[in-house]
Amino acid sequence: MTRSSNDILLGAAPIVLVLLLWQGLVSFGYAPPTLLPPPGQVFLRMSQQLASLTFQQDVAATLFRLFAGFAIAVVLGVSLGIAAAVSPPINAAVKPIVRVLAPLPKVALYPAFLLLLGFGHESKIMLVAADALFPILLSTYYGATNVEQKLIWSALAAGTPPRDVLWKGVLPAAMPSILTGCRIGLVISCIVVFLAEMITSTDGLGHVLVTAARTFQAVDMFVPLITISLLGLILNGLLQGLRAYLLRGFPSV
Amino acid sequence: MGVTPIRPGQLAGVSLGRRAATPIIEIEHVSQVFKTSSRRDHTALSDISLTVGEGAFVSILGPSGCGKSTLLYIVGGFVSPTSGTAKMKGKPITGPGPDRGPVFQEFALFPWKSVLGNVMYGPLQQGMKPAKAEALARTLLAMVGLTGFEKFYPKELSGGMKQRVALARTLAYGPEVLLMDEPFGALDAHTRTRLQNDLLEIWERDRKTVLFVTHSVEEAVFLSDKVVMMSRSPGRIREVIDIDLPRPRRREELLLDPNYQRYIVEIERMFDASGDNELPS
Amino acid sequence: MNGLLKPLAPVLACCGLLLAWQLASLGLKNDSFPTALESLRAIPPILTDKESLINILASLRRMAIGFGLALAFSIPLGLLMGRSRATAAFFNPLLMLIYPVPKAALMPIIMLWLGVGDISKTLVIFLGVSLPVIYHSFEGAKAVEEKMLWSGAAMGLSPGERLLRIVLPAALPEILTGCRTGLVLALITMVTSEMIARQSGAGNILFNALDMGQYDTVFAMIIIVGAMGICLDAAFEIVRRWLVRWSEPQFDMPLSFS
Repeated sequence: MTRSSNDILLGAAPIVLVLLLWQGLVSFGYAPPTLLPPPGQVFLRMSQQLASLTFQQDVAATLFRLFAGFAIAVVLGVSLGIAAAVSPPINAAVKPIVRVLAPLPKVALYPAFLLLLGFGHESKIMLVAADALFPILLSTYYGATNVEQKLIWSALAAGTPPRDVLWKGVLPAAMPSILTGCRIGLVISCIVVFLAEMITSTDGLGHVLVTAARTFQAVDMFVPLITISLLGLILNGLLQGLRAYLLRGFPSV
Repeated sequence: MGVTPIRPGQLAGVSLGRRAATPIIEIEHVSQVFKTSSRRDHTALSDISLTVGEGAFVSILGPSGCGKSTLLYIVGGFVSPTSGTAKMKGKPITGPGPDRGPVFQEFALFPWKSVLGNVMYGPLQQGMKPAKAEALARTLLAMVGLTGFEKFYPKELSGGMKQRVALARTLAYGPEVLLMDEPFGALDAHTRTRLQNDLLEIWERDRKTVLFVTHSVEEAVFLSDKVVMMSRSPGRIREVIDIDLPRPRRREELLLDPNYQRYIVEIERMFDASGDNELPS
Repeated sequence: MNGLLKPLAPVLACCGLLLAWQLASLGLKNDSFPTALESLRAIPPILTDKESLINILASLRRMAIGFGLALAFSIPLGLLMGRSRATAAFFNPLLMLIYPVPKAALMPIIMLWLGVGDISKTLVIFLGVSLPVIYHSFEGAKAVEEKMLWSGAAMGLSPGERLLRIVLPAALPEILTGCRTGLVLALITMVTSEMIARQSGAGNILFNALDMGQYDTVFAMIIIVGAMGICLDAAFEIVRRWLVRWSEPQFDMPLSFS
């Protein structure tokens, strides 16, 4: 018990140190506040922004793209992953394509998406989906191929019709792996949607950062960056909670 | 020769009657308590005292969870006891050293080294010249029957072969005591028997001191001069039994030997009487 | 037949993707969507143009430096975290906080502080690569079998020697998996930060061409950047396999993300 509270203290130490260093740099005049605003000012500005309607609209735009892209990635990733794991012909087709596309920097496709889908939501959603797809697909595939053959035999022996084995055997058994992939995919979605908005957009959190950068408003550059990072943390935490709840029967990893 | 439990009574008397051997390992009032998340701490070992004479083959026999491996780790210096001391040749053990060579159930071979590289690792670490270390390693590999496998990586070997490499690797740096932690526990019955025979054959050549942890009664009786029976919760020594069987031992002779059979039946009866084997782990 | 098909499968996949592209663009008849052939034809002019070539090579040099520095920093830190509970407890929460920060998005802020020079660009790549390498080194070091370390200790290895000569090689497969992810991330961070900063490099060429309506150049650059990613990954995989040929084969599909 004391051990874990020690760990918390130990873990909090570097975070406190970073904040102190940040404050110290400004207080002792090593960094001008125009370049590095003090933490207090940043968090004050953040609370103001969170209450403002325009900022909320930017957050909403970002969230919409984030979830739309992520949802596409989950549906495609899980179904393709399972299909590739259970069907040899699909595997033969999907595996080499994935091998080629997975290490490809998806952000390079963004200009193509812009040309094909326009500068609105669609191109950004597409980029998010493309980036989040592969971790989800690969973990699903990995989880589904590692399902024990004997588990499937047991399900068949218990009278489960072969069609249902996929839903009642393979999918639940691959669930831990799938959810891990989703967690990675979700954080990636957060990062990518922000970057896409920074590269070209007229709204969203990324756009807020770019606008602030053009006018050298250091405070306003920190606010969207911290917001998206917090968003990533919160979503990651939520999915982790969901995972823990869904997987209560599995041995903890 | 053998084990002298520091416990008054019949067992000390048995020891006195035999040829006196220099003690090499002395365990004095060793206890080991593990802190657990639950309120009650787990006492793995409770006040263990044991002396092992030089050149003895001693088995520590007990049900899983009786702390027999922990006792071995304490002698190895990998784990420090909560209280009490373990001594090697009169000096308190403070950490691992090349005078005590472990052989683990998990083999613990270095997977990035070839078979030869694994066996040469210890001698090189001791400052032996590479050419000499290689010659030594080849001799040892021949002894454990692995000539021709020098360039293989551990992943290419079967479990039995891995354990042979592990034994050769430990013998290579010349420990005075072999600490064997259920070394054949992960092997199939057939391989286990063969390795037991080979171990005995190797041991009977130079009679190094061996401390051998096992949960198999037959294995303990077949190999040892002394069997230390442990009980669990908390881990205690409940009996030390001299195995008075002729050496060199041959399996096919022993299996027909009524004395061998009697030892096994006797020990199993003692364990059954305590009901110790049935506890969930 | 099967043995011949296996190494060829990724090549076939490439051809298939290009073919699908060709057909799609012929079918769509969209001015801003050139065919695969047109795009491929636009590659040689880019690669023979001195300025863009220098630009791309300078980007790759920064990427290599950032990647190398990140490895030199992250692998020791990860190994130390894996073997020392206190170190792990100290760094883990901080790293957890940094994890969801979009690293390439730091580009404008870092440029504000350090200017538009090589330092900023290299620093961003360093930040992008570090985390997965730390994470995988940490996991690798944590999973090293205790008994293996004990065996080393019995042979007389000191704690420092054990970290270098047992933990490092034992964790190498996992470390290299992290490096592989890190390598792709280095490229991604590089391209993304160039797209954001719009100063130089492949990302900048891409968007300049987009702004000027040179659509075949846009798609040619996409092929170039994509090929860089695929080739870097494939080359690293060959090196990785050779380095850890002693280890049990593991799941070999790349897990890359940005």
